[in-house]
Amino acid sequence: MSSLLPDVIALTLLLAITAYSTAGGVDFGAGIWDLQAGNSPRGREARALIDHAMAPVWEVNNVWLVLSIVLCWTAFPSLFQAVFASLYPLFTLALLGLVLRGAFFAFRHIADDPRAHRTADLVFGLSSLITPFFFAATLGAIASGHVGTTGPSGSVVEASFNPMSIAFGCVSVAATAFSGASFLVGDARRYGAVNLVDYFRRRVAVAALVLVVVGTMALAVIRIEAPDTFRSMLAGPGLPFALVTMVLTPAVAVLVWRRAYSWYRVLTVAGIGSLVLAWGFGQSPYLLPGRLTIGQAIAPPATQVVLLVIAVVLVAVVVPAMGLLYYLDQRGALESPEA
Amino acid sequence: MFFMVWLAGESALLPSRIQMAFTLAAHVLIVPLGVALPALTLLMEGIGLARKDPVAIKIARRWSVVMAVQFAVGAVTGTILSFEFGILWPRLMGRFGAALGLGFAIEGIAFFLEAIFIGIYLYGWTRLRPRTHFLLGLALPPTGVLGAVSVLSANSFMNTPGGVTVDAGRVVDVNVMAALFTRALGYEFWHFIIAIYMTTGFVVASVYAVAWLRGRRDHYQQLAFAVPFTLAAALTPVQLLVGDLSARALVQDQPAKFAAIEITWTTRDHNPEVIGGLLDDAGQIHLGIAIPALDSLLVGYTPSAVVPGLSSFPAGDWPSVVEANISHLAFDVMVGLGTAGALLAAWYFWILLRRRRLPESVWFYRVAALAGVGCYVAVESGWVTTEVGRQPWIVYGLLRVADAVTTAPASFVWTMLATLVVVYAAIACFFVILLLGLAARWRREDRLHPEAPEEGVPYGPRPETWARS
Repeated sequence: MSSLLPDVIALTLLLAITAYSTAGGVDFGAGIWDLQAGNSPRGREARALIDHAMAPVWEVNNVWLVLSIVLCWTAFPSLFQAVFASLYPLFTLALLGLVLRGAFFAFRHIADDPRAHRTADLVFGLSSLITPFFFAATLGAIASGHVGTTGPSGSVVEASFNPMSIAFGCVSVAATAFSGASFLVGDARRYGAVNLVDYFRRRVAVAALVLVVVGTMALAVIRIEAPDTFRSMLAGPGLPFALVTMVLTPAVAVLVWRRAYSWYRVLTVAGIGSLVLAWGFGQSPYLLPGRLTIGQAIAPPATQVVLLVIAVVLVAVVVPAMGLLYYLDQRGALESPEA
Repeated sequence: MFFMVWLAGESALLPSRIQMAFTLAAHVLIVPLGVALPALTLLMEGIGLARKDPVAIKIARRWSVVMAVQFAVGAVTGTILSFEFGILWPRLMGRFGAALGLGFAIEGIAFFLEAIFIGIYLYGWTRLRPRTHFLLGLALPPTGVLGAVSVLSANSFMNTPGGVTVDAGRVVDVNVMAALFTRALGYEFWHFIIAIYMTTGFVVASVYAVAWLRGRRDHYQQLAFAVPFTLAAALTPVQLLVGDLSARALVQDQPAKFAAIEITWTTRDHNPEVIGGLLDDAGQIHLGIAIPALDSLLVGYTPSAVVPGLSSFPAGDWPSVVEANISHLAFDVMVGLGTAGALLAAWYFWILLRRRRLPESVWFYRVAALAGVGCYVAVESGWVTTEVGRQPWIVYGLLRVADAVTTAPASFVWTMLATLVVVYAAIACFFVILLLGLAARWRREDRLHPEAPEEGVPYGPRPETWARS
C-alpha cells in the first residue's frame, strides 16, 4: 500500500493534467478556430456558435489547471519548486495568455464599437493559440532533461526554449485545434446549424492531418533530444498510449468525414488524452528524467493519505456534479434566455 | 541576446513583494461577493418562492448575473495567484507545500463544485423547474465557505505554523490535522467569513441606497435594499467582538505583529493605546492620540498587563518601522470603519424596531451608500494589517520572505508586474463597464416593462445569427 500510494498520487496528477489538456484543449481549439474564422458572414456565424458553445462550461474546464497546480505543490513540493524555478518564463507567458483570453472573451460581449469588437476577437484568438503552446512547452522542457532538482541544469533560457519544448508546444496547438473542431461539429449539429457542420467537418480533417505530421516531427525531435523517453514511449509503458493516439486521430477524421456521428467525440478525448498519458508514462518513474523519481519527490505519508482522500472525493462528488452539468448542458436545460 | 542580458540581474525581492501585494489586493476585492453573493441571491430567491413574489425572483436573477461575473473575475485573479506561488515564491511551496498545500488542495475541490453549480444556477433559470433550480443553488454557499476556510487554513499556517517536522530544510513529517487547523484558523475564519458576508450585504445594499437617493421608492428597491442591509447590519456588532478576540489572540500567537499593530516600542505595562500616529526609528511616536493604559487594559483587563514591544525581539525578526506603521494605520482604519458600521447598524435597527419601517432620512441613505466602499476599504486594511504585520516572515518563525523569493532577476519580475498592472486595469475597466451597462439596461427595462422577467446573461447579449439557419 505505502509503496503504491505515491504512484497513485502521481497518476492522479497526470490525470488532472490530462483532463485539462482535453477539456481545456477543446476550449483553446475553439478559440483557435475563432481566430481563423475571419470576418466573412460564415466566419461570423462560426464565431457565434463558438461563443454559444463555450459560455456555460469554460470556467469549469479552467479548474483542472488550478487543481493540477495545487496537487503538484502538495504532492511533489520539490518538483514544483524545480519546475517553476527553471521554467518561469514559460509559465508567465502561458499565464498571460490565459488571463488575456478570459478577459477578452468576456469583453467581446460588451464591446459595442465594431473596431473594439474585432480587437477583442483578435486578442481572444491569439491568446487561445499561445496559451496551450506554452503550457505544453513546459512539459516538453521537463521531458528534455533541462530541469534540474533545484533549478535549470543550464540557463533558464536553455531550459525553457529548446527543441523539445517547442515541439511539444506545436503538437499541443495542433491537438487543441483538432479536438476543438471535433467538438464544434457536435455543437453545430446540436444547434441545427447545418452549414457549420460541414464547415467544421473540413477543419477536423485538416487538423487531424496537421496533428499527424507535427506529431511525427515531434517524435523525431524526442528521439534526438531525449532518447530514453523516446525508447520508453515506443517500447515501454508509454507505447500503448502512443499507439492509441496514432490510431484514433485519423479514425476520428474518417468518422467525421463520412458523417458517422457516433463516438467521435469520445474518441477525440481518448486520442488527445492518450497523447498526454504517453508523455507521462514515457517518463515514469521519473518526474524529472534521470534526476527525480516519484518516490524521491513525494510528500510525507500523512499528506499522501489526504491527497488520496481528495482524489476519492474528486471522483465521488465532483465527477457526478460535472456529469450533471454536462448532462443539463447537452439536454439544452442550460440556455441563455434569449436563445 | 537581449533576452540573456535581461535575465541576468539583481534579486527580485522588491518587485515580487509588490506584485504579490498588488495581485492579492485585487483578489481580496473580488472574494467577498464571489463567496457570499450566492447566499444572498438564494435568500432572495427563497423569499420569492415562499411568498410567490415575482419581484424578489427578478432581483435574485439579476444578482445571479453579477455573481457569475464576480466569480469569473475571481477565477482569473485566483489562477494568477496560484501561478505566482511558483513564479515568485518557488521555495515557499518547495519547502512547505506538503503542509501548506493541503488547504489549497481542498480549495481545489470547493472551487470545482462552485464553478459547476454556478454554471447550472446561472443557465438554469428558464428551463429548470423553480424548486429544482433553488435546490441545486443551495450547493453554492457551502462550497464558497469551504473554499474560504481552506484558503484561510493555508494563510493561518503562514501565521501560526504547526503540524510539521522540519529536518535539514525539508518537511519530513506532517500531522495533517495540526497543519490544517493551526491556532490562527479559529479567529481568522470567523473574522473573515463575517467580513465577506458583511461586505456583500453592505455593497449590494449601497447600490439600492443610491437608487433611493435618486428617487426610486418601489417594492423592488425596498426589498433589494432591506434584505442585504439587514443581514450586514446584524453581523456588524458580532464582527467587532470577533475582531477584538482576534487582536487579543495575537499577543500570544504573533507578539511581534501585535507590537507592530500597536506601534509599541518597548515591552511594558500601562501601555497606552495610540490612535493614528507614526513611529520613528528611535521608538518615538509622532502625532496620534494616546489613551493612557488602554492597550494594557484591552489585552489583560488591567492597566498593569504587560504588552510586547518591537525592540524586545531579536534584530531582524520583527517588522521594520515602515512596515509597523503601515500595519498600525491599516488596523486603525479597519477598526474605525467597523465602529462606523456598527453605529450605522444601530441607527437602522433603531428605526426598524421602533417605527416598524425602513429609515426615511436622506442622511441615512447617504451613509448607507458609502457603506459598501467602506467595507472594501476595511477588508483591504485588515488584510494589510495581517500580511505586513507578519514581516519579515513568509511562514512565521520558519521561513523568511527573502529566503523564499524566486531566483528570477528583478527585471523579469518588474516586466511581469508592469504587464499585470495593465491587464488588471483592463479587467477592472471591463468589469465596471459591464456592471454599469447591466444596471443601465435593467433600469431601462424597469421603466418600459415594470413586470417583465429578467433576461440577463453573464456576458451580456450574444448575437444569435447562426441559429437554425
